[in-house]
Amino acid sequence: MTSIKINGVEKRFGELAALSDINLEIEKGEFFTLLGPSGCGKTTLLRTIAGFYRQDKGDIYLGDELINDVPAYRRNTGMVFQNYAVFPHMTVFENVAYGLKVRKLPQAEIDKRVAASLKNVHLTGYEARTPDKLSGGQQQRVGLARAMAIEPRVLLFDEPLSNLDAKLRVEMRDEIRSVQKALGITAVYVTHDQEEALVISDRIAVVNFGRIQQVGVPWEIYKNPVNLFVATFVGKINTMEVSLGESRAGGMRMAKNGSVDFLVPEAGTEDLSKAVLAFRPEDVVEVDEGAQVAATLSGTLKIASFLGTVASLEMDVQGTTIVIERHRPRRSDIPDIGQKVEFSVPPEACLLFDAATGARLGRGKA
Amino acid sequence: MGAGRKKADIWALVIFAGFAIVVVFLIYPLFDVFKYSFADKETGQASFANWKEFFGRAYYLRAFGHSISVALLTTVFSSLLGIPLAFFTSRYKIKGSNLLSTLSVLALLSPPFIGAYSWITMLGRNGFLRNLFLSVGIRLPQIYGLFGIVLADTLQYYPFISLMLAGSLMTIDRSLEEASENLGARSLRTFFSVTMPLVLPSLTGGALIVFMMSLSNFGTPMIIGGNYLVLPTLAYNLYTSEIAESPGMASTVSIILMLCASVIIVLQQWLSSRRKYASMLVNRPVVKKLKGAKSFFAHLLCYLIVGLSTLPLAVIVFYSFRNTSGPVFTTGFGLTSYKQIFFDVPKTVANSFIYSFIAVVLIAGIGTLIGFTIARKRNLAVRILDPLLMIPYIVPGTVLGIGFIVAFNRKPLYLAGTAAIIIMTYFIRRLPYSVRSAASILKQIDPALEEAGINLGSPPGRTFRTVTLPLMQSGIISGAIMSWVTSMNELSASILLYVGRTMTMPIKIYLSVLDGYFGTASAMSTILLVVTGVAMFVVNRYFNRGSETFIAT
Repeated sequence: MTSIKINGVEKRFGELAALSDINLEIEKGEFFTLLGPSGCGKTTLLRTIAGFYRQDKGDIYLGDELINDVPAYRRNTGMVFQNYAVFPHMTVFENVAYGLKVRKLPQAEIDKRVAASLKNVHLTGYEARTPDKLSGGQQQRVGLARAMAIEPRVLLFDEPLSNLDAKLRVEMRDEIRSVQKALGITAVYVTHDQEEALVISDRIAVVNFGRIQQVGVPWEIYKNPVNLFVATFVGKINTMEVSLGESRAGGMRMAKNGSVDFLVPEAGTEDLSKAVLAFRPEDVVEVDEGAQVAATLSGTLKIASFLGTVASLEMDVQGTTIVIERHRPRRSDIPDIGQKVEFSVPPEACLLFDAATGARLGRGKA
Repeated sequence: MGAGRKKADIWALVIFAGFAIVVVFLIYPLFDVFKYSFADKETGQASFANWKEFFGRAYYLRAFGHSISVALLTTVFSSLLGIPLAFFTSRYKIKGSNLLSTLSVLALLSPPFIGAYSWITMLGRNGFLRNLFLSVGIRLPQIYGLFGIVLADTLQYYPFISLMLAGSLMTIDRSLEEASENLGARSLRTFFSVTMPLVLPSLTGGALIVFMMSLSNFGTPMIIGGNYLVLPTLAYNLYTSEIAESPGMASTVSIILMLCASVIIVLQQWLSSRRKYASMLVNRPVVKKLKGAKSFFAHLLCYLIVGLSTLPLAVIVFYSFRNTSGPVFTTGFGLTSYKQIFFDVPKTVANSFIYSFIAVVLIAGIGTLIGFTIARKRNLAVRILDPLLMIPYIVPGTVLGIGFIVAFNRKPLYLAGTAAIIIMTYFIRRLPYSVRSAASILKQIDPALEEAGINLGSPPGRTFRTVTLPLMQSGIISGAIMSWVTSMNELSASILLYVGRTMTMPIKIYLSVLDGYFGTASAMSTILLVVTGVAMFVVNRYFNRGSETFIAT
């Protein structure tokens, strides 16, 4: 197990800047996720760590070793591929043994390690099968066992679950997580699925346009996003354009959207008129005269979805679509379509962003 | 880094070899063909005399018209046989449909003149079918000429249409047809408004191949054409009669043939680039089961079509076992014809096997290496080499033969009368197919597999050997077997290039037919048929490759 240090890495493909100014320190044994939309550069970064691409600028360290000029086959990183890349002309055993044979390990050691790796992924007994006799999930387990068998310094996952069906995806991600923790191996995991990232990661780096937007533990990324991109990409959030007004007593400030006034916590000293106000659907509360609220809104219900533990209500609030959630809903919590629904937004639920740059206003107070 | 440099040099060498092959064995001989075509016969000065003569004399223009007629009629009749066969075998349960497709591929791959020669034995001047019909008072039409050529060509080439069409009929997404029916279209309307447009590209693709093959076919019109000259036979006749002088007219006819072929290739490229309906193969169409009379007629039609194309082959095999005395068939059955071959011309049989084998080793080895550069190293040199390697597609065998004999009959490369010149003809005619097939196999291998190998610690060279090559292997070998079959059956170029000691089986069959030794011709044809059949079986059985391998030839 090894730490990874990435200093000022840049990568261009012709005109396209795939990676710009990437700086990361991934700790020993950490499960670190690169999260972002497709084409954001997350896979490029992973492949640069694996050595399939050479960065144009910057340094990459595995532990204390500078690996810029180490060819891919000497980096000792175990990669798990999106489309499995299980060798179709080899049995499960031969696949897992491939890297060990390259390393010229004695046969007894190879047998031992293959058995242990297959046990880890619950494929004991499948040694003699060929990949075409395996399901997608089983093939990906072979891919994982094969990567682990070489006892790599780090495990690299390139969207390993995106070709699996939803149920299997949940099962496999828990398994990857538990195997990684059991072995204590450093892992870098690429995904575009924010829910997967939140569940599986120790820390997440949100990537967009080849730049790292924010690095943090899942809680931090979700609750305290640094900009509008992170806020909207991770989880659901309502946004509305507001104009910021004068400061009020108690460190509060006015924010106005049409005829609705929000009283929000003072968001820095930025002298901005245009801002974006955002709050998450699950943070709204029922109207309670006594409580201090940022605003109480009223909307017309357009769509009501009942999901068991939660009811999601989509409504029209003065021309803006707002979604709220009610937890452990009672029958009366789900009104008929077209009905008026009232709710309050607590002040601490309100996040403000610069309308022009998307940067978070007054971060650190929340 | 040292290993990387060495590897780069190997690929540079491959690209250089590719250029050398193209220049020496294609551009150099074809340039001679051009030169003679535009030179005055007496003076050797640049002149359009040959071209004026071609377009000024009905004799030449008629051959051009004949060629187009043969190609067009063959295409039409091949479609008439191929379309229903493809439709019934792909959409309805036809018993023995595997046998049907095997038999039609056998007809397709059989030497290009066996059909013609077999139809002569059936419907020729003294053919047994003709005599049979005559005894009941029916006079069948003359087989020699247009009718015979189209008959033999159609029954050989229609599988191009049926196999390509069946392939795409079997892989359309079923949901598309279901969607059409769901939207209210009857099944006949669905067929014409959804199914047909979707499979049209493969139908036209198959039809163009048929047109091309019958246009450049030499053996069939030579044997069954009589006085009905087409461009390849015209070029051959002109060449053999011009032998004392410069082959100006033969060269001119050759260029016209190549121009026709180029038009077809351009059409084909344009068609295949224009529309592609990639299918995800999620929902394969269901194969319906027919009942009662419908089932009977569907079976009857399919077996009739395939039966008709198998008939000439069966007749050949049958005749090969009849007893002969010299050129005359006597009563009873035996192995006299085979004995005669092995006593009289064992060298001819050996030549065929040896030349094809050497050619195939070259084709597979060099083709794979060049294919690799085309699939994985797109530098400027490769981008120039790639289209140059496609030249053999538009050079009919007769034209290549004329080019070779003119260019290699003098220094610096004097190859006339050698085995090498015949091997090189086989090699150059099949090389583009091998290059294409290696490149397309490589494109189907997910680069992630090679990356996985490298990631697990295996250097690039070792990864190529342990991952890439084993995955290419079955494609390379089955491609090589197909090249071997086509080389074994090659006639149109080698007939211009052989001398007594370099004679091959197809040439011997041709000469035996001309001399009336039908027994030996049949026995030798049967040997070629068995070789073709065994090759097909091996490819099917051991490499799990279906009909698509055969029609990729």
